[in-house]
Amino acid sequence: MVDGYLGVDIGSVSTNLVLIDNGCHLIEKIYLRTQGNPIKAVIEGFAALVETGSKEGVTIKGVGTTGSGRYLSAVLLGADVIKNEITAHAVAAAHLYPDVKTIIEIGGQDSKIIILKNGIVNDFAMNTVCAAGTGSFLDQQASRLNIDIKDFGRRAALSQQAVRIAGRCGVFAESDMIHKQQMGYPMEDIIMGLCESLVRNYLNNVGKGKKIEGPVVFQGGVAANAGLRRAFEKILGMSVKVPQHYDVMGAIGVAMLAMEKMQWSRAITQFRGDAFILKGSFKTSSHECQGCPNICEVVCIKRDREVLAYWGDRCKKWENSLSEKTHAV
Amino acid sequence: MRVGIPRGLFYHYYYPLWKTFFQDLGAEVVTSASTNRRTVERGIESAVDEVCFPIKVYYGHVRELCHQELNYIFIPRLVSVEPKSYICPNFMGLPDMINSALPELPPVIDITVDVSKNDRLLKRDIIRVGQIFTDNKNHIKQAYQHGQDELHKCRNICRDGYNISEAIRIWDGEQIVLPSTYNINIGVLGHGYSLYDQTISMNLIDRLRKMGCRVQVVETLDRDAIEVKAAEIPKRVFWTLGRKSVGSALYMEGQSEIDGIIYLACFGCGPDSMIGEIIERKIKNKAFMMINIDEHTGEAGMVTRLEAFCDMLRRRAGKVEDYISAHG
Repeated sequence: MVDGYLGVDIGSVSTNLVLIDNGCHLIEKIYLRTQGNPIKAVIEGFAALVETGSKEGVTIKGVGTTGSGRYLSAVLLGADVIKNEITAHAVAAAHLYPDVKTIIEIGGQDSKIIILKNGIVNDFAMNTVCAAGTGSFLDQQASRLNIDIKDFGRRAALSQQAVRIAGRCGVFAESDMIHKQQMGYPMEDIIMGLCESLVRNYLNNVGKGKKIEGPVVFQGGVAANAGLRRAFEKILGMSVKVPQHYDVMGAIGVAMLAMEKMQWSRAITQFRGDAFILKGSFKTSSHECQGCPNICEVVCIKRDREVLAYWGDRCKKWENSLSEKTHAV
Repeated sequence: MRVGIPRGLFYHYYYPLWKTFFQDLGAEVVTSASTNRRTVERGIESAVDEVCFPIKVYYGHVRELCHQELNYIFIPRLVSVEPKSYICPNFMGLPDMINSALPELPPVIDITVDVSKNDRLLKRDIIRVGQIFTDNKNHIKQAYQHGQDELHKCRNICRDGYNISEAIRIWDGEQIVLPSTYNINIGVLGHGYSLYDQTISMNLIDRLRKMGCRVQVVETLDRDAIEVKAAEIPKRVFWTLGRKSVGSALYMEGQSEIDGIIYLACFGCGPDSMIGEIIERKIKNKAFMMINIDEHTGEAGMVTRLEAFCDMLRRRAGKVEDYISAHG
């Protein structure tokens, strides 16, 4: 049997699972769309992982979760480490490129810049209130133009002369694109123009005031788009590396963090096992707690009839009721 | 006589003064509950659109008090609380804004606090307000002086690491125990009425404490040292709270035990858009993060940022994480 560590990254758009061995080599990766149902995505992803057969002969020694659904997936799988996306992405990139200085990460709903110094996060920034220029905006534009998002990069690469598109705001970008399209500019040039405007927006917004030094690594689901990579290289004037497993870097990072913790603490993993995850029926429900004027929306996660977790209550009344029960048992 | 004091805005700085003053004059002081979802909902419903979030929440506090059979509601008109410095202009019109929006409002006591040039006007207005309750001018002056003394007492509580809002709760008889274990030190700045309100700030300070941080705020620092640092800016910042934030940030930058600085800005705040930017540009040698808040209740974005910030500081300092909890 080989020791393995499971890393799960649940983002707004995609859910990724990876299995790594204790040398940080990737054994298997699963990438699927969250489609608004993180529980279903995690279970399907885990089932797919079991189906590939790569889990046979591997003992899971630790589990880490990251991404905006990290708390939810931690309950489902039994996670040892729950980490934010910034740390997870930085750990994975720094392992792969020990001298990396800048990480550009663009996901479905947010984009980040991470500045590293000697392999350690030294500064970071995330997009604030606006999601212009992230994966979901690209998705939306692709479907409006009736182009498969997978083809977006290839089409952009055909462009000879990118048109200028306003990237400050998603709404302006869209009306600019429609205007240019009605004027008769070729589709390729408009797509490339969009890529460049997104990069300018990213650098002005997320990368504002940050000194971007090479080596630069570009990761996250949007790194699949060759047009964006080309736009980054053109505007930054330096080469940009896209790791082989750019789409699951967060999951790899958190799997590595789980390994680090388990090897350091020598604890036994909280991992719930295949039967728990695949055989049960998981449901979430929410209700408004009327206990005080805060009227918290309390979320409850159940497996069959057993309550696994509560959250959302500010006073922790519901959350603590559960731990009391488990202690009593 | 019952006087209502809304638990918002400068309540977080001056409540001991106001409460003592009215009580000494024989009034019963009633406050609204701590900001909760209903306060926020009511506030957003009645407030004009262009004011900042904490002012909208203040409307909610006032509305809560409207139904409590009060003789008066206290809504001060704060223009300036120290020489040559001002409070945001929205506060100058606060009693008028509220008055026009809420017809069910009890009679308003709107004292004008403007000591930008001298305190003559304020002194006259204190007497005017006091005469609602008594004709004895000496009594009024004594009540005000007593209020000042209580405020001073309350501010001294901050020396033990409490922010002014916590100090007020302690002054009012509550017990608050700060966690004693921490391995990073974070300076947190912002307007107190946003930062110290647990609902508006989404409990930022306590979240950091739970993540193993010691939190330093404006009130835990030396007042004079802050002013010295604030004077380093080429043009004097004339907003009281903004100047203290800038001074504190610069002071903290020079303190080796502070690992990082967080600035909580309110999306619709005019001064914040300036002050946050100034601090961000001036802080060169310490980790700095700006967090923007508004009406949204999604806490995920804030939690992610705070976690990442703490992780970064720990890993930078080479501090091994204490693997007590997986959360964080």
